[in-house]
Amino acid sequence: MYGLYLAIVRHKDHLLFILALTLSLLLILNNTSPEMGVVRGKAAEVVSFMSSPITFIRSLMFLEIETQILRKKNLELSLQVESMLNLQVENDELLSMLDLKKRTKLIMKPARVVNKGLQPNLLSIVINVGFEDGVYKNQAVLTPKGVIGKTVEVGGHSSIVQLITDLNYRLSVRILPSGATGILRLIKNGKAQIREVQKNVKINIGDKVVTSGFSDIYPSGLPVGSVSGVFDDRGSFQKIVNLKLPNNMSSFQNVFVIIEKINEMD
Amino acid sequence: MKWTDFIVPIIFIWLFQLLIADFLTIGTIRPDFPLILILYFSVRYGRSIGVISGFFLGFIVDLSGTAIFFGLLPMTYSLTGYLAGNLKGLFKKMSPVSYAFCWALIITIQFFIFCLIQYQDLWAFNKGVFLGKWFGTTIYTLSFITLLQFISPLHKNE
Repeated sequence: MYGLYLAIVRHKDHLLFILALTLSLLLILNNTSPEMGVVRGKAAEVVSFMSSPITFIRSLMFLEIETQILRKKNLELSLQVESMLNLQVENDELLSMLDLKKRTKLIMKPARVVNKGLQPNLLSIVINVGFEDGVYKNQAVLTPKGVIGKTVEVGGHSSIVQLITDLNYRLSVRILPSGATGILRLIKNGKAQIREVQKNVKINIGDKVVTSGFSDIYPSGLPVGSVSGVFDDRGSFQKIVNLKLPNNMSSFQNVFVIIEKINEMD
Repeated sequence: MKWTDFIVPIIFIWLFQLLIADFLTIGTIRPDFPLILILYFSVRYGRSIGVISGFFLGFIVDLSGTAIFFGLLPMTYSLTGYLAGNLKGLFKKMSPVSYAFCWALIITIQFFIFCLIQYQDLWAFNKGVFLGKWFGTTIYTLSFITLLQFISPLHKNE
């Protein structure tokens, strides 16, 4: 026994080395054990805590460069997002136009708004279709939401459209489901009124207003708006109906011109 | 021989490696300061202390890093401690060049074993890159040991 002890003492360096190698190998072979994972996880937490001041200092060192890069990236992304939002709006508009064209029996010519004039009030627009495209004077112009005006001047490849928001504009309309008819005119920005409506008809807020079809310009059944208020005209046998126009006149970019009339109500 | 003679340098070197070594990184290669400490310990105190400190320091370093092969550093550092421990007291019996060659060889062997296990895929598929990694890590740490020879030569620690 004493001899064994002496041998261990004499060769302790080698034995320690063998022991260290064995332990190391055991550690390597147990790399995937859950206990090892727990120990390493705890150690990582300690190391992370201790490294945090240096990490903070290092982050400060690169802060200015990083800010510049991020600022540049931010600008690029903002422009990209803006462009994508515009494209989305345009896409939605085109999709709804496509949908309208599928739904309707009317023969329509798609057009793009190329100019909205310089007047403070939007009274007319210029579209990029003209008589070369089959467009003539006094043809109805609409968007998927409803009528927006009519052509008043036509060139080879462009036309001027008088908008429904022009105070001089008049449109014969029908209120559904009552079937009452009247003349639409603009009162002030975004608000229109239907006059010459018989007093004895029942009209509710939210009723749909469509074109009557009495006009040579507009086929019947084209959407115009919805009723937002009804009141009696004192001293006459008529009602006055307030109308909410569905189109935002400053936002649309694409329109349709009805080049052949078939009554939508038919 | 006090226990603080071991613990204080070990803690200092561990913190140094943990916090400062990143600033000295070239590409993916960083100097191995714990290895330098083990070399100094082994030459000064012999094989036993070399092996124990190597295993202990390797274990701590592996534990504080993101080692893929946990246990690899204790093994290679123990080997370095064992081999470098043999240099204790040899400076007077050898020429300085042979002595320097010996510790450089020990470091080179240590890094070869480390790289062989750590980058075994490279060894199998791209020996050029493997050799680059091996020489890179070896030469970078050796250059720090060489610099240290001007401040505190290894043989003075014997």
